[in-house]
Amino acid sequence: MKLRVYRYNPDTDIEPRMQAFEVKSWPGMMLREALLEVRKQDESFAFRHSCGEGVCGSDGMNVNGRNRLACITPVAELKEPIDVRPFPGRPVIRDLVVDMTQFYEQYRNVRPYLVRKDPLPEAEVLQSPADREKLDGLYECILCGCCSTSCPSFWWNPEKFHGPAALLQAYRFLADSRDQATDERLDDLEGPYKLFRCHSIMNCVDVCPKGLNPTRAINKIKDLMLSHAI
Amino acid sequence: MSRRASGLRAWALQRATAVYLAGFALYLVIHALTQPPADYAAWQAWVARPWVNLGLLLLVPALLIHVWVGMRDLLIDYVRVTWARVLLLALLAFGLIASGLWAVQALILARMG
Repeated sequence: MKLRVYRYNPDTDIEPRMQAFEVKSWPGMMLREALLEVRKQDESFAFRHSCGEGVCGSDGMNVNGRNRLACITPVAELKEPIDVRPFPGRPVIRDLVVDMTQFYEQYRNVRPYLVRKDPLPEAEVLQSPADREKLDGLYECILCGCCSTSCPSFWWNPEKFHGPAALLQAYRFLADSRDQATDERLDDLEGPYKLFRCHSIMNCVDVCPKGLNPTRAINKIKDLMLSHAI
Repeated sequence: MSRRASGLRAWALQRATAVYLAGFALYLVIHALTQPPADYAAWQAWVARPWVNLGLLLLVPALLIHVWVGMRDLLIDYVRVTWARVLLLALLAFGLIASGLWAVQALILARMG
C-alpha cells in the first residue's frame, strides 16, 4: 500500500515536502495503524494519536483532501496513493502536528460550561428527559477540529470567527435548560464576526467524524437571537 | 453605541430581502414570458400600473440592502487591509445609492408618463 506523507520541520526545512512510503496492509487496517507502520520506517515522522477509537479526537488530519480521524478511517476505503497532510490553515509544528491554539481559544470564548444565577441547590440541578434530549447531537463533540479547519470562514478569520466546533458548543449551552446566561451568551455572539461569518458552506457537516451538524446549531443560534431581539 | 458592525440585523435584512427578491423575480420572469412588452409605450404602461410601480419601488431598496450585506460580507472575508476595505465599502455605498436614486427617478418618471 502506497502513502504520501507531508513532512515539514520548520526548524530545519526550507519548505514542506511529500514523502512516499510503502507499507503492508492487513484486513480492517485503519489509517492510524498505517501511519504507525510509517513511523517504524522513519521514527522522525510526527503525528498525534491516542485512544485509537475515535473518542479522544487527537488524530485529525487531511486525508486525500478531506479532514478525517485517522483511527476510524479504514485504509481499504481510500484511493492510493493515500495523501496525508496536516489540517489546512493551521500553523505546522512538525509533520502532521499542528498548532490548535486558536481553535481552543475560540472554544474558551463561548464559555463552554453551565452558568447559574440562582443559588446552587443542595443536590444536582435536575433536568427533564425532554430537555435532556435537546442536547443530543450537540454534546457528542470531541473537539477533534476536523470541522473548523475545513471551514473557509475559519481559514480567513480564525482569530475572530468562532468556527463550527465552538459554535456547536455555544448552542449546546444555549439549549441547556439548566443554563441561565442565554442573554449574555447571545450578546457575546453579536457582531459580524463571531457567529455571522458562517455562510452555511457546510464543510463542517460534511467532515464531522461523529456525524454532527454544526450548521444546524448555528442556524438555531441565529433564530434564537432573532427571537430575543424582536 | 456599539463599535461593531451589525451581525444580526444585517443577517435578518439579508434573509427578509431575499424572500421579496425571490418572489418578485419569479413575477418578473413569468410576466416577461407570458406578456413581454412589445415596445417602450407598452413597457411604460406596465410600469405605470400602481401595484407594479409600488412593487418596483420596493424592489429598489430591497435589492440595494441585499447587495450591501452580501458585498460587505465578501469584503470582510477577503479584503484584509483596513484602508482598502474602507475605500471599497465607501465606493460600494456611493454606487448603490446612486443606482438606487437613478432607478427610483426612472420609476417616478415612467409613472408620470
